[in-house]
Amino acid sequence: MWTRKKGEEKMIKADTVNKRFDDLQAICNLSLRVNKGSIYGLLGSNGAGKSTFLKILAGVYKPDNGEVTINEQPVYEIPSTKQTVLFISDHPYFFNQASLYDMASFYSGVYERWNQKRYEQLTTHFRMDPKKRLNRMSKGMQRQAAFILTLSVMPDVMILDEPFDGLDPVIRQQMKNLIMQDVADRELTLIVSSHNLREMEDFCDFVGVLHEGALLFERDLDELKTDIHKLQIAFKGGPNEEKLKEGMDILHYEIKGSIAFLIVNGLKEDILAKVNRLNPAVVDILPLTLEEIFIYELGGVGYEIENLIVE
Amino acid sequence: MFKLDTRSRVAIYEQLVEQLKTMIIREVLQKDEKLPSVRNLAQELTINPNTIQKAYRELEIEGFIYTIPGKGSFVSHLEKDANEEQLASLRQDIEKKIKEYLFLGGSKQELMDWLKDVDEKERGREND
Repeated sequence: MWTRKKGEEKMIKADTVNKRFDDLQAICNLSLRVNKGSIYGLLGSNGAGKSTFLKILAGVYKPDNGEVTINEQPVYEIPSTKQTVLFISDHPYFFNQASLYDMASFYSGVYERWNQKRYEQLTTHFRMDPKKRLNRMSKGMQRQAAFILTLSVMPDVMILDEPFDGLDPVIRQQMKNLIMQDVADRELTLIVSSHNLREMEDFCDFVGVLHEGALLFERDLDELKTDIHKLQIAFKGGPNEEKLKEGMDILHYEIKGSIAFLIVNGLKEDILAKVNRLNPAVVDILPLTLEEIFIYELGGVGYEIENLIVE
Repeated sequence: MFKLDTRSRVAIYEQLVEQLKTMIIREVLQKDEKLPSVRNLAQELTINPNTIQKAYRELEIEGFIYTIPGKGSFVSHLEKDANEEQLASLRQDIEKKIKEYLFLGGSKQELMDWLKDVDEKERGREND
């Protein structure tokens, strides 16, 4: 039976982590927590530092300062921690000339929890040829191989950088399904970076947005979706901007003809009560999509891109 | 059992809560019936177990289900009028639609005749 008291156990902890590459401050005082059994989505603009941060968590990079622990243990150059913390980078790495079979025998020698039965099951299910050289396979097949190897290690933590990139929709769904089973059965913890917000919306339960090496905000995804709303309000004779804005936490305001478009922070009931006092003709209130939240939040810190009309 | 719309703006968690409530109110799920386990549902629907857990917790707080540790979640005995909540949400929907209708120039009289008409038809069907 799957029971858990939420937020009791922190699996991944990062405290004021900094990382500098020459003149680039890639990660800037970043602190973050991931609950055990949670799927944390790390989102961010291009070059925000997502991959760098994941590599620090995985113990690939050493942070300049700050502390990273997984399950209370440090990661960097600590083989015992790495036994159960698996990382799939945006370009999965395999030994030169190695086949899936070669990689599996290496993994089974290194990882104590290696599950041969699971490995064989997955290899058959995904119709992989274990003898074929991995470097000659397509990007998607390589990623599939990386997933098979990683899942067969029975990890406690998976750190995934753009994990579904290059996988077709069927395989994507199956990989997610396998991950969900491990989350439910063994409280597998994940931190996942992605640009595909639509996909993250269904996959994660917690999201953080990274911008210029710092965490812009992080929230429980369901709370986030119930706290920010998109409103379309029509007034007879047009909206009164001043009255409308009064007492509301407005992130975005726009008028088109007699209709006002607003993005508002707050509870649905409170917002509706306020708006209804102004006697609107029609009110539409919708939860925001993660994509919209992302765009408005980043817009708030000046990461806004106006549409460019090309010559 | 469930139809989740992953393209909808409504959070999966809310969709789950709403659909389970409807099934309980309409007695598709009978009282004391066992709900599918978090694990089974996560696997069947490929959704995050945390989301399902959260939905179950919400239903428990609202009194729709109860949990026996180690056994699972079950449908509660609904004593108070469980329709009340659904009525409230329908009222909101209808009010919105009426406002829209009137805003676009629909007539009040027509609306009232309409209601009478629908009501009579429903009665007619019941008497058959």
